[in-house]
Amino acid sequence: MLWLCIQLPKLPLEALTRAHRAGDSTPLAVAQSSLIIEANQAANSQNVEPGLSIATACAYCAGLQLLERDAEREEQLLQQLAQWAYSFTPVVSPRSAEREHNQPDNQFACLYLEISGCLKAHHGLRPLLQQLGKELRKMRISHFMGLGHSPSAAHLLSQLPEHRQWLAETKHAPTPQQWRQWISFAPSKLLDCNHKAIAKLYASGIKRVSQLLAIPLSEVGSRFGRNFISYLAQLNGTRPDPVPSFEPPAEFHNELFFPSPLDNSEQLLFPAGRLIRELCRQLQRRQLYSQQLCWVLDYGSRGQQQVNVEVSRPLLDPQRLIALTKLQFERVELKEPVQALTLKCQQLQPIENQNLREDFFDEGSKLNESYQLIDKLKARLGHQALSGVTLKESYLPEQAWQNADSLTLQSKAKGHHLTPVRAPRPNWLLPRPDRIQQRDHKLFYDGELHLLQGPERIDGYWWQQRRHARDYYIARGSHGSLYWVFQDLTSESWFLHGVYS
Amino acid sequence: MNSAENFLQNKQLAKQANNEPLPPGQEQAQPLQQLLTRPDIWQLASGQGRSRTGISTGYRGLDALLTGHGWPRAASTELLIDKAGIGEMSLILPTLAELTRQGQMVILVNPPLIPYAPALVQAGVQLEKLLVLHPRGQRDQLWAAEQSLQSGACGALIQWQGKETPADKDLRRLQVAARDGDCLHFHFRPGSCVKTPSPAALRLQLKSDGEQLALHLFKQLSGKSGQRVHLARNPDLVRRDQPLH
Repeated sequence: MLWLCIQLPKLPLEALTRAHRAGDSTPLAVAQSSLIIEANQAANSQNVEPGLSIATACAYCAGLQLLERDAEREEQLLQQLAQWAYSFTPVVSPRSAEREHNQPDNQFACLYLEISGCLKAHHGLRPLLQQLGKELRKMRISHFMGLGHSPSAAHLLSQLPEHRQWLAETKHAPTPQQWRQWISFAPSKLLDCNHKAIAKLYASGIKRVSQLLAIPLSEVGSRFGRNFISYLAQLNGTRPDPVPSFEPPAEFHNELFFPSPLDNSEQLLFPAGRLIRELCRQLQRRQLYSQQLCWVLDYGSRGQQQVNVEVSRPLLDPQRLIALTKLQFERVELKEPVQALTLKCQQLQPIENQNLREDFFDEGSKLNESYQLIDKLKARLGHQALSGVTLKESYLPEQAWQNADSLTLQSKAKGHHLTPVRAPRPNWLLPRPDRIQQRDHKLFYDGELHLLQGPERIDGYWWQQRRHARDYYIARGSHGSLYWVFQDLTSESWFLHGVYS
Repeated sequence: MNSAENFLQNKQLAKQANNEPLPPGQEQAQPLQQLLTRPDIWQLASGQGRSRTGISTGYRGLDALLTGHGWPRAASTELLIDKAGIGEMSLILPTLAELTRQGQMVILVNPPLIPYAPALVQAGVQLEKLLVLHPRGQRDQLWAAEQSLQSGACGALIQWQGKETPADKDLRRLQVAARDGDCLHFHFRPGSCVKTPSPAALRLQLKSDGEQLALHLFKQLSGKSGQRVHLARNPDLVRRDQPLH
């Protein structure tokens, strides 16, 4: 096991000021309950430091801008960073900042990464650390790192300047011997325990961890309690050190805010493409797919509009998704300028092997093509413009068929197989029976009708209020067309119900 | 076939004639054979040599009249009809049923009435392969038809002309799309369109002579036109068995 601890000391400040430009020189400080928590470079140069009271800080620096600490945003940023770290290794554990009453943070927020499994993929320890550092700098997140055989050791060592210097130059992971040396060399104030315990340690003359380890454990236990003992064991690696594992959420939610609102749906395509690419990257990493992209166009105070793009097959190609989105956006009329664009995918599903396997064969690629076609048609024409037809079990002719969801198109019908009646049925059915004129015992529908065959009696639902009793005939019109007509037995009037085309 | 392909072929033929003096005999005849297989060259005389490239209609009398012994592959076929119910769907249903059995998708665009599932199953159509589209408006309809034809995913597309007559340019685009996607394209249009020219490879006028479906071959690419054929309707339908009324 090789644990990397990334400490994020300035997270409270960065959560609030990340959107600011890099060269901003206004002195800024984050405050919580009348104490300065964190200050930026400009404020630091004027002696504003964490732990000062607001009054003192303002006295040092008159132009100081104070920001209220926002724990929620901090947590959000930490989750985002955890997700970023998840792209390096599957074992990630975020830990938020802890704070004792009326003290500046003694525990910064940090991320634990288990990196022994991903060294090979990143060509060794050094390139991996460089990559991590580079990306963090790009995100403008200040950080320092420590490496250890357990999370608590990594956390302890990340605070040791000698270790950090070694880490910046190292090429290989250290030997167990080296771990032990560093840990015993570390001053005891770096131990991850409360202020009281540390004060007690110093009072009894224990300045380095090595001194602490020399004392028999039972003695230490009777003075500092069981928890302290188990912490020491975790530090040594003699006891497992579990940390909660980060589980990325099973949904995608991202928003882009436009400083100047967009009033043209074509302009939306560019930010939409960016969101889709982000989505695809995340989906690919986690081998998931989404059946629906849900776009929310935010008109600010004037409400919002939702546009759904349906995808019938697992699709991770951003270009195709963008094309589908484009088709949908072309239909959208913007009521107001759009202030923010959100992409939500609520139900991410794992890609199953079978779905992918058939793509390699002819049949599958043809199937894929038809799914793409259906998606495209759906995107432009709308869901309701597509349908299939299936059989339904019913005596009544108008209920012997039903609209089918076009998605079931390709799958073979399973289970119960319906067979239609043997009697000749028309290819076309009228949505509702059309009344036929009746004069002197002759029928007229666009000319005189001659009955050829019949009757076929269909008498259904006699047990219900609405009885359907009909005698069906095949009739020929004056132009040679063949019709399916019936006489309603209750009202004795004639209707046209189908056309034999 | 576009002009660039044409040009290339001609160049190839010229090259073969000039540079490579082939021994006299069957090799000399090859360029000519090659030339004759082109679909845009109309051979009147050689009736037997015609290739059976079409997709069988299921009616032997009609197959015999068509150049490819069936519906022209990857091309538009116009069916001009004024009155529904004279057997126009039964004319193409055997082909559609065969296509769906082979696993190809069949798309109906703007059918005038509800396609009745029991009858389609009786005709042998696999309903899972059937897709019905109801695009709104002429533009969406043409777009949907063109996209489906082009995609190569569907075996046949049957389209009914709405109230508006599509422009010649649109018909040509559909024809080209059918060629690109290797798809059968049936276009039902009213009989009044007979007068206007159309790029379709085959135009059939459908009428009823009272008992039978009368077909008039109005236009056929690289084939004779002007013939008439009568197809009997399903005897189950026209049998007279003295109804009670």
